[in-house]
Amino acid sequence: MSELQVNTEEKTEYKIEIRNVSFDYVQSKSKYEALREIDLNVKAGEFICILGASGCGKSTLLSLLSGLNRPKSGEILVDGKKIKGPGTDRAVVFQQYSLFPWLTVKGNVLFGIKQSGKKLGRKERNALAEKYVESVGLSAAKGRYPSQLSGGMKQRVAVARALALESDVLLLDEPFGAIDPKLRLELQELVSKLCTEHKKTVVFITHDVDEAILLADRIVVMEPGRIKSIHKVSMPHPRVREELVGTTEYEKLHRQLIMAFYDQVAERIDAGVAL
Amino acid sequence: MKKFFHLDKGAWIEFGLATVLMIVNVILALHLPYYTEHKRYYESNAYVVVLIGAFVLYVLTLFKGKKKSTNDIAVVLFGFFLLWEVSYKVGWVHNDLLIPSPEGLFHVFIEKGPEISKDVWGSIQLLFWGFLLAVVFGTVLGLLAGWIPRVREVLLPISNVITLIPPLMFSAYMIMILTTFRQAAIAVIFFAVFWPTFQGTVQRVGQIDPQITQAARTMGVGTFGMLRKVIFPYCLPGILMSLSKSLRGAFMCLAGAEMLGVNLGIGYFIEKYKSFADYRCVLAGIVTVGVVTTVIDLAVNKLKKSLIHWEY
Repeated sequence: MSELQVNTEEKTEYKIEIRNVSFDYVQSKSKYEALREIDLNVKAGEFICILGASGCGKSTLLSLLSGLNRPKSGEILVDGKKIKGPGTDRAVVFQQYSLFPWLTVKGNVLFGIKQSGKKLGRKERNALAEKYVESVGLSAAKGRYPSQLSGGMKQRVAVARALALESDVLLLDEPFGAIDPKLRLELQELVSKLCTEHKKTVVFITHDVDEAILLADRIVVMEPGRIKSIHKVSMPHPRVREELVGTTEYEKLHRQLIMAFYDQVAERIDAGVAL
Repeated sequence: MKKFFHLDKGAWIEFGLATVLMIVNVILALHLPYYTEHKRYYESNAYVVVLIGAFVLYVLTLFKGKKKSTNDIAVVLFGFFLLWEVSYKVGWVHNDLLIPSPEGLFHVFIEKGPEISKDVWGSIQLLFWGFLLAVVFGTVLGLLAGWIPRVREVLLPISNVITLIPPLMFSAYMIMILTTFRQAAIAVIFFAVFWPTFQGTVQRVGQIDPQITQAARTMGVGTFGMLRKVIFPYCLPGILMSLSKSLRGAFMCLAGAEMLGVNLGIGYFIEKYKSFADYRCVLAGIVTVGVVTTVIDLAVNKLKKSLIHWEY
């Protein structure tokens, strides 16, 4: 009885549980350990940023969360259920080029709605698609094809399509990495707003310290293969970049993150020199 | 209208040249008697109709103002016709059995019009069935083999061997196992188109951006949903693009297939008049093949444009 209680308690407390997860990339004879015994719990409605340099395994972790890859050992639970593969309970936004080129902006969003498995009539589906297209500010471009969109617009569509799945969990893999800084800020604010609005549980992969501070409730700094440190960000949402910069809390956090981030980079450069 | 009258000076000169070439040609055809006595093709003005028809087409193309080369092509074409005509009227060419005069050639379409249209229709039917079956099966199997490695590893080596065998080589055997020559001809066209379509589709599926399929998988798309909703539309432009290429392959085989003994079809028409040593009709048949192929090719391109609005 008491065990059951503990179980239900766990379910309500954590949306995502990563338990002792390891992953190797096997290439012919060589084996590369990408993740080693990772543990991380994410509460429902929490926005987690995973911060790390390239090659630290952060994208690998996301591919495990999305179900595109399976962990070598350990397990990942969503709502207390073990992940067995990709599913519509977790929407993913990739770094780039993941829109369907033969569908218009609206068509791409409609694809997400159809996949969400909700029983809707044609009119309702259309209305919902228009709503999501509007929520990312692309109403005027809804009839365009991806090849006619800029990088920033493409990522807006990718976000709208992910939202259209209406999953509780949203996974983003460096979605704005290839977008110029000014547009990136706009997109960050949009994602922050939409995720709060739709009460999403978010795992957001980034290598940008400022992006992490702007978005996250907690920032997980990774070093190759494992979690280095976790930093809580208690500044209230929605955050505005200009207002954050200069506050003591921001400066302190920024310094901590930079230290954690560059420390590991320095170590790797040293290791490279030693080799 | 505006565009047409805004041709630059050079274009006007070229247009004038083409027009003069055409008019001189028409006058020669209508009024100048033959150097040698070739009166027998004189009864119809089919050639003049062709000249004027070509000119109308030329003006219309110019009117649309799409291509800069229109004028050049017209000058070369009308120049060629004029040279051909003149060489007859002046007497450079005597033997109109081997090289027919333009009047003689185009008169065939009046003389043997019903026969030609019947044969063209017969060819189109053979082509249609062979081509349709091959494209449908080739694409479906290609998609399956392209996406499912186990299917691919079985089918691809087999197809690599079979594509090397010219499809016409099957023909003798096809006649034996299939009940009619028609079926045998369709089968030959089928094999000429099926394997290239299959291989092309497998290749295209292999080139699909993995981010696209991954995105689809994260949205819960299963194996057959993936083939139907993602891979097929992704590959569609490529498939349509290769249609005109495989259509050409089919035409090549068509002539061969019709020599199997079908008593209908434009290949049969050419073959028949070759054995009668009527090279005027043979040439007319060849011209017909050219025209029909071009028209079908244009139709396929039109289909492609109306289906595909997007780019990668």
